[in-house]
Amino acid sequence: MAAIYSLYIINKSGGLIFYKDYGSSGRMDTNDSLRVASLWHSMHAISQQLSPISGCFGIELLQADTFDLHCFQSLTGYISLLFFFLSKKVTRMIQGTKFFVVCEPGTQHMEGLLKHIYELYTDYVLKNPFYEMEMPIRCELFDINLTQAIQKDRVALLAR
Amino acid sequence: MIGVGKIKQYSNVLDKPLSKGKQEVSLSAFAFLFSELVQYNQTQVDNIAELERRLEDAGYAVGARVLELLCHRDKGNRRETRLLGILSFVHSTVWKVLFGKVADSLEKGTEHEDEYMISEKELLVNRFISIPKDMGTFNCGAFVAGIVRGVLDGAGFPAVVTAHFVPVEGQQRPRTTILIKFAEEVLRREARLG
Amino acid sequence: MQFFGGTEISPSLPASTASGNNGHMMYVFNRNGVCLLYREWNRPLHTLNQQQDHKLMFGLLFSLKSLTAKMDPTTPDKANLGVPQLPGQGCSFHSFRTNTYKLTFMESPSGIKIILVTHPRTGDLRESLKYIYNLYVEYVVKNPLYTPGTPIRCELFNTTLDQYVRSIS
Repeated sequence: MAAIYSLYIINKSGGLIFYKDYGSSGRMDTNDSLRVASLWHSMHAISQQLSPISGCFGIELLQADTFDLHCFQSLTGYISLLFFFLSKKVTRMIQGTKFFVVCEPGTQHMEGLLKHIYELYTDYVLKNPFYEMEMPIRCELFDINLTQAIQKDRVALLAR
Repeated sequence: MIGVGKIKQYSNVLDKPLSKGKQEVSLSAFAFLFSELVQYNQTQVDNIAELERRLEDAGYAVGARVLELLCHRDKGNRRETRLLGILSFVHSTVWKVLFGKVADSLEKGTEHEDEYMISEKELLVNRFISIPKDMGTFNCGAFVAGIVRGVLDGAGFPAVVTAHFVPVEGQQRPRTTILIKFAEEVLRREARLG
Repeated sequence: MQFFGGTEISPSLPASTASGNNGHMMYVFNRNGVCLLYREWNRPLHTLNQQQDHKLMFGLLFSLKSLTAKMDPTTPDKANLGVPQLPGQGCSFHSFRTNTYKLTFMESPSGIKIILVTHPRTGDLRESLKYIYNLYVEYVVKNPLYTPGTPIRCELFNTTLDQYVRSIS
């Protein structure tokens, strides 16, 4: 039983830099996952614009009929300023690196897992001299540690 | 040194106590600096052998300085003159100062008389580094190999030092072995000393 | 500055109250994307003019629906991204949450979309939306003076709705 279906990492400009599937049926091909990533990137930005209150960072949790999508965004991204001349207002939008997991509805502790994955990313990707920023992640150590983290999470879920 | 906050500031460096005290450098800070070092050197070279050599050279400078410091600090300005002595000095004293622990193992090469190996399950400089597939057997441990060469050279034991990945059974990650091949003169001298 | 305040909810955000005043705004769209109703209770921030705002909201819903249909991890064959989904077809979503608001979405079989934007801490509002849909049927659909597909101008519906949303916790 897979609690986590898949994991995506999107860079600041909406490009998919990491995608891993953990057993969803009818898995996506590369083109589809790239499209989904860039679509999510723009949806995330639009959700910030539609906020009734200022200071919105974008979608954190999307609840669909058959899955939950948890999204974590690093705060190190670009801040785009949008000027609306008619209303003379400025909105700021944050576009950082986004991490999101697709999991079974109601799966708990996903925020913690995403933060942990972010830590792994800062350790094993950003500190790797052979990684080029914003490019697809191909780091063996990241893969190994990520697999461990997801497995640990699965064991914790089964134990409950 | 990083961690200055806790240490008393001496206006004159000579007043400072000799012992190391507890000074630790943030691992992240080191990892980022080392990453930049590798990235900078990568822009300066055309091939991997060249990159390895440059990292080794950078390490050599560290090794030469570390030897001076440790001989002064721990040995009362005396240095090791015997082969095994200097090897265990590298394996324990130098390793402890640089990486906070003694190296995992020190072995004599089985095939050649003049070869010694220092092995680390997870070398500190390699902690966060994944080597891309197209770089083959390149190992950032070349920097540490350089340090070892610097220490040995400074102490009068010229040697060729290289870093290699060695797969370990039952482990996902290979360990790093620092291979030390001493110059002929060193072994001859050692034989004379008996 | 609230902008760099991490994941903490910005300090200006009022705490959700157990009784009422958690509603920010509500939209009703028909299947053609015409905004039939827009109610606003508490919205300090307007970034766009109203027409653009409605367009953006409908676009967001359309794309999110197409996204969730594509991402559905339980069905092997899925429609391509961007292909319009009929009401009830494919995997849809019922709500999303940001640090400043929560949006709950419902689509009726006839393609009426009801969107309620509330405080992020409000619970599951699916039943509330069903109730609102019920109000729509009672006061709008059953109103002989209402022409389907035109903006809703029914006093009775608005007052009942306002009253009901105020009670949402």
